Amino acid sequence: MLNGLKGLGVTLRGALRSKVTAEYPKEHLPVDKRFMGFPALTWDAARVEPYCTGCMVCVRYCPTQCMTAVMQDNPKFEEGVSHRKKIIESFEINLGRCILCAICVDVCNFDAIEMSHEHERSERLRDANRVDLPTLLDMGQQYQDEVGWKQSKPNAASPDERAAAKAVAEAAKAAEEAEAESEPPNAVEETPDQSEDKEGEDAA
Amino acid sequence: MSFTDILLAFAGILGMFIALSVGVLSLTWLERKTLARIQQRAGPSVVGPHGLLQPVADAIKLTTKEDIIPAYADKLLFWMAPVFVAIPAFMIWLAIPFGDGIAVRVLDLGLLYLVAISGIGVVGLLMGGWASSSRYSMLGGLRAAAQLVSYEIPIVIVILSIAALVQSLSLDAVISGNTITVGDSIRDLPGQGTIPFAFIMPMGLVIFVIAGLAELGRTPFDIHHAESEVVGGPFVEYSGAHWAVFFLAEYLNTFVISALIVVLFFGGWSWPSPPESLFGNDLSNTTTNVLGGVWFMLKTYFVATLIFWVRATYPRLRIDQLMSFAWKALIPLSFGNLVLVAVVLFYDWPLWVMPAVSVPVLIFVATFVQRTRGARGRPQTVRILRRSAGEIGLPVPDLANRTPAGVINQVSGEGQAGD
Repeated sequence: MLNGLKGLGVTLRGALRSKVTAEYPKEHLPVDKRFMGFPALTWDAARVEPYCTGCMVCVRYCPTQCMTAVMQDNPKFEEGVSHRKKIIESFEINLGRCILCAICVDVCNFDAIEMSHEHERSERLRDANRVDLPTLLDMGQQYQDEVGWKQSKPNAASPDERAAAKAVAEAAKAAEEAEAESEPPNAVEETPDQSEDKEGEDAA
Repeated sequence: MSFTDILLAFAGILGMFIALSVGVLSLTWLERKTLARIQQRAGPSVVGPHGLLQPVADAIKLTTKEDIIPAYADKLLFWMAPVFVAIPAFMIWLAIPFGDGIAVRVLDLGLLYLVAISGIGVVGLLMGGWASSSRYSMLGGLRAAAQLVSYEIPIVIVILSIAALVQSLSLDAVISGNTITVGDSIRDLPGQGTIPFAFIMPMGLVIFVIAGLAELGRTPFDIHHAESEVVGGPFVEYSGAHWAVFFLAEYLNTFVISALIVVLFFGGWSWPSPPESLFGNDLSNTTTNVLGGVWFMLKTYFVATLIFWVRATYPRLRIDQLMSFAWKALIPLSFGNLVLVAVVLFYDWPLWVMPAVSVPVLIFVATFVQRTRGARGRPQTVRILRRSAGEIGLPVPDLANRTPAGVINQVSGEGQAGD
């Protein structure tokens, strides 16, 4: 029974701590950097166009079939400004249907779709969460700004850039091999790995 | 009795009713804020500044809700039960003094009145439980009756020992002291102006607080409307305004017990009195009376906050723990307290003998209760239930070897496969 009085001390200490809840509509807690909100399309600032080519991979893999994409010929490719032969014409995601599984992000070959930080899309109408291409790009740009987004897959660069990168990689490899001759056991293991990586890049 | 007296009485009752309703509303807000604070939440904050108007919103919501009376309910009793619980809770306040001789009705038998009126609430709970024609309500009502009647005893005995200490049943005497003539000598019995009874009679205070909490049916002792066992007890079938009246009565009772703790043990409006240099020592002075009333209410709210704190801390007791605690610990202790007061008064010993004796006794009893009633002690009820269940062939888990019921029965060859 005297031990029971310790309980009062525990609750008293709890009362002296600062409160942990935030009252949502008034206060917004910052989301984590790796927070996964709704998917959004990323923006290629270098070529002033979306990364998305409308290849339909995400549309095909989407388990809830909440996406639609239409591809078009990229006018900038003919101008020589861009390396993308095809570009997205219209893209729609029904965010009310999206389950935020991030499969679209996993299957995308161009880093063109990312799970953004957007999570506050409460609307009264059922169709109000069907977002179009400009909205998705806005969401994506905001996300890119927030996290300092960088493209992760080098295969999406232009053929020229890819060739240059390849040359640099090969030079590095050659240098490594030259170095490795002094240490044979490591060189044997490393070489096949790197060539596999390169093949994978080319195939993609 | 003149017409003015009757008018004044009605005005007093009306004023008291309104003040108490506001008090109850503030108390619900205070409870929710206190609990929220302890659980590191914000509590009500949307309606009004700091959620101050939340109780009003609650009241509007409850009164406009559909009031359902179950088809098989005893309609008259069902309708009357909340009234039976709420009216006594209001009536107790008639006798409680807010200043020197200031109460709605100054009663010479104030303590007796308190005890008499507070007993009526049980009838209402039992009535509601019976009239709802629901098993949960019925069980809850019976639990309420058992619990409240058991805990009434220590409360009455403690009040009795206070009455013995001041040789009066008047609440004014409890606060301001009393002068009696014994044979040829005149004796001044202590009031609480200088030393409140909490320090003279600590055992009485502890008993009164525990039994008072049980009398309220607040959390450590809320077995009669335990949500996980009898889903709300007598209140299961109630909704809307009827339920609101029960709710009102519950908070009123919390208020009453807080006020009683303050009046009986912490000197009501009188202790600690402001220094003479500030307002003079004239107790009939209007300023001192108003200040005394405010002081009394502040103390009452403080005690209510402590009650909420206890609610936020402890889990609910089992019914066998509750009853055995009342009958084996509190009632003997309260009688011991009464005997102590009687002996000290009879032999005219100094008053410090009482705390000097009762504090060690309290500590001893508390450690003893901890030894026997701790987490490992198995209550007698459970043992009896297990034995009788075994006799009629019900599967009983073997607690000593920690095996489930089915295994035991297969080994001993009696009973069916467990699952």
